[in-house]
Amino acid sequence: MIDVKGLSYVYSPKTPFMTQALHDINLTIETGDFFGIIGSTGAGKSTLVSHFNALTRVQKHSGTVLVDDIDLSAKKIDLKKLRAKVGMVFQYPEHQLFDDTVLKDVMFGPKNLGLSYDEQKTRAFDALKMVGLDPEVFASRSPFELSGGQKRRVALAGVIAMHPEILVLDEPTAGLDPVGKRDIMDVVMHIKADCPTVVMISHNMNEIAEYCNKIAVLSRGTVKGVFSPRELFGSQELLEECGVELPLVTEIAVKLKAAGVDIDQTILTEAELVTALQRVVRRA
Amino acid sequence: MRDVAIGQYYPSSSVVHRADPRFKLVILVLYLVTVFFCESFFSFGFLTVFVIVTIFLSRVPIGKVLKSLRMILIILIFTTVLFMVFYSDPDSKPLAEWGIFHIYLKGIYAAVKLGWRLVLLVLMPTVLTLTSTPTELCDALESLLYPLKLLHVPVHELALIMSIALRLIPTLIEETDKITNAQKARGAAFDSRNPFKKIKAMIPVLIPLFVSSFRRADDLADAMDSRCYRGAKGRTRLKKLHFHVGDVLALLFWCAVTVCILFLKYNWFGWGFIALLSI
Repeated sequence: MIDVKGLSYVYSPKTPFMTQALHDINLTIETGDFFGIIGSTGAGKSTLVSHFNALTRVQKHSGTVLVDDIDLSAKKIDLKKLRAKVGMVFQYPEHQLFDDTVLKDVMFGPKNLGLSYDEQKTRAFDALKMVGLDPEVFASRSPFELSGGQKRRVALAGVIAMHPEILVLDEPTAGLDPVGKRDIMDVVMHIKADCPTVVMISHNMNEIAEYCNKIAVLSRGTVKGVFSPRELFGSQELLEECGVELPLVTEIAVKLKAAGVDIDQTILTEAELVTALQRVVRRA
Repeated sequence: MRDVAIGQYYPSSSVVHRADPRFKLVILVLYLVTVFFCESFFSFGFLTVFVIVTIFLSRVPIGKVLKSLRMILIILIFTTVLFMVFYSDPDSKPLAEWGIFHIYLKGIYAAVKLGWRLVLLVLMPTVLTLTSTPTELCDALESLLYPLKLLHVPVHELALIMSIALRLIPTLIEETDKITNAQKARGAAFDSRNPFKKIKAMIPVLIPLFVSSFRRADDLADAMDSRCYRGAKGRTRLKKLHFHVGDVLALLFWCAVTVCILFLKYNWFGWGFIALLSI
């Protein structure tokens, strides 16, 4: 569980470049949530999530962040424990690959946790399997000769191998083709079985609508509100107020409805749209 | 990582900020030459007054300018102290001595002048970088080096390399921050006291940084190529440098200051008597 209370953050305080990135943020992310964070560029999404594993420290008198029982506004934090608990996958995670083989790169996290070599290796193999890369084939290859999608999976495996309880993803599908996007999201859903809480930043409303059970809308460093997907994408006023686009499938449903087809407007996934359309066709 | 000196531009719209960077550069060179010709306390005081006036005119907080002295503090103390204790003056008796160390009155004066000179040498370039953006300085340098083209020096290419390097420094810093964070999130520790461990801990940051620099260089080359970049020939500028009467006056003024200092040093036309007023 992550509990954020009254969190504010200021970049370059007391200089002409001072900017308020976050302002009085209140959020609760429960265990088991697939928590989406949306908002335009510069809304403070990345700054907010980088608090969750203390890469950005809570500034003095600027609120509190609680991850399970760890208070992140405290002066001394057990960083090792925290970072094992909260796995963070940044934008374009493939840019962080560095070792000469895939196996060694995935083992980097477990090694830093101080595990035995055998344990590191087992975890790395399991993580590679989980992201859909056959360890027998990929373990000994150089990460730099893989394709973009494969690199991203290796980077993801490097985080999963630390066995996090909370996974934070910053635009996990940015820059991938539609098939690559689907593959990565399938991997994420697969991971969610072992790592119950997932927090995801995304600009892609299709993914947000399909996977998240709660969505926080950020705007200029403040939380506009936390909604369920049906609340958010079902209400025209909310969408306009928050400046959010409709997911593709919802847009299709809305347009069909406007054209006189008897269909539910708050459709969020492809599967739902297909079922609804079949029902319409059968009736006709 | 954010305290890198190059990006220290302090935004303001003061007279010094608005001045033509080419003139600022020339004046700086003139100033540095003048500092080396200073010999009497009088001429040091004379220059210091002008430095203080310039800082005042630039409207940069004085603390920001003085912060640059922190860099040279150790050198400053080290050189002045060594200079003082090893100075020897056969004409007078030492004020104090311990073994091979002697302190003479003249030694104290010389050491103070040495320190003062160092401070003056650091302050003015700091004012320049605080009041002009790296791009302005780069353009100014290209414009000033233009005559070297006659000697087939690739001035434009050199300036381009420099401005690309300057432009990418903040990007690289940002990238370093990002990669460092990504590795920290995977449990990497960069706070080890052991220097060997510290260097080893940097490898997971340096390799991705190199890889991304090469990727960026390739991308930039492609982008320039696709926009038909072909060097300096027929190229115009987005921001043309303009100079005003004030710039010329400032330059003339500094020429006058330099001449004054030279008068004081070489006693041309017997004008050096002013220096006799001081020590």
